[in-house]
Amino acid sequence: MLNRLITALSLALLCADLAARGVYQQPQDFLSDTFEGGVPEAAVIWLTGARKQVVTELLGHSYTSLRVRYWARDQRSAWVLEEIGKEQPITVGLVISQGQLERIKVLEFRESRGWEVRHSFFTDQFRNARLDKGRNLDRDIDGISGATLSVRAMKKLAALALYLDGELRAQDVQASP
Amino acid sequence: MSRRHHRKQRFKLRSLYVWHRYMGLSAALVATLVAATGILLNHTEDFDFDSRHVQADWILDWYGIEPPADLLSFPLADRHVTLMGEHLYLDRKEIEGEYRDLVGAVLMGDIFVVAISNSILLLTPRGELIERLQGEDGVPAGMKRIGTDAEGALVVQGSHVLYRTDKDFLHWRHADSPASSIRWARPGALKPQLQSTLQQHFRGEVLPIERLILDLHSGRFFGKLGPWVVDAAAVLITLLALSGTWIWLKRRR
Repeated sequence: MLNRLITALSLALLCADLAARGVYQQPQDFLSDTFEGGVPEAAVIWLTGARKQVVTELLGHSYTSLRVRYWARDQRSAWVLEEIGKEQPITVGLVISQGQLERIKVLEFRESRGWEVRHSFFTDQFRNARLDKGRNLDRDIDGISGATLSVRAMKKLAALALYLDGELRAQDVQASP
Repeated sequence: MSRRHHRKQRFKLRSLYVWHRYMGLSAALVATLVAATGILLNHTEDFDFDSRHVQADWILDWYGIEPPADLLSFPLADRHVTLMGEHLYLDRKEIEGEYRDLVGAVLMGDIFVVAISNSILLLTPRGELIERLQGEDGVPAGMKRIGTDAEGALVVQGSHVLYRTDKDFLHWRHADSPASSIRWARPGALKPQLQSTLQQHFRGEVLPIERLILDLHSGRFFGKLGPWVVDAAAVLITLLALSGTWIWLKRRR
């Protein structure tokens, strides 16, 4: 009896773990959902010089790559960014419209815990968020018990996307450093 | 109580005391090792023992850690892109991540383009990752080799046809150039000194300090008998505590 109970509990834990990890949406599908009438051509923004320094301050470390891809049309830009929650990167799609966060969505979650950040009750808090002068989100985001690191990663990526979108609007971004 | 009985009790106590002393001496070395490693294990994160690695050759030899025999390198000007096991290097600089299936590497201006693990890495001369291009970015599946065409553009041979990118590596299209006109990346020999350095580096990235401390703590570091010795020491320490308490109680009387 005890053995069966242990086996059932182990299976339940394993299922919960497997359910947490997964691809929720392919980046291409996220972009298709975002832009009606076809996805615009991809462009890149380089994270070099002062921009690299700001990104490092926002994330607490440098971004994984020196250039980031984005898709933009009519004052809207879409980003597919990654940030490590605890040990694995979380892939997140973000849409910025006129300096405000229009949409944030977890595309792929690889950690075994903290997957609750993919739910709309959490991501809806970011709607219309902006960056204040100190480059912080202009609102408090309620955390999720047991998902502290994933929440932190989501907040960092929201701030990063808003900052990069601001850079696009502030100047003509060169395609090379 | 008779005099004889009293003498017998004293003899028993002295005998227990002698046993207590020998048990203490026998367990002392192992107990010290277990205590010291236990303290260190309690502070693994404080001292980064989980992310730092053992570099001492004799310990790595003791564990039988050897660099992998499979090594593939692509010479580019005076630089080398090398895959050793799952570690990718630009000269001596290790590129973060785990990799497999190095297809090729070419130098385009000052960007090192490396086709590996079904993706294409763009690296600066310092080994910083500019971008990792994957299937969703247009990288063809089943890459067989990479090279540059007469115009200096990147060309990749996919499963069936050739593909070419623009200068920013953003857009892919079928390449018109015949395969014979492409300068394909070719593997080459690694300089013995660089090979030796990479092998040494590889060995020094395998064994975390935490694992060594754990093995010392459990006795596994010393082979199959090690855990039994630690178990025996644990039993002795338990007996030591009991005999010490017994002696103390007897002396009080």
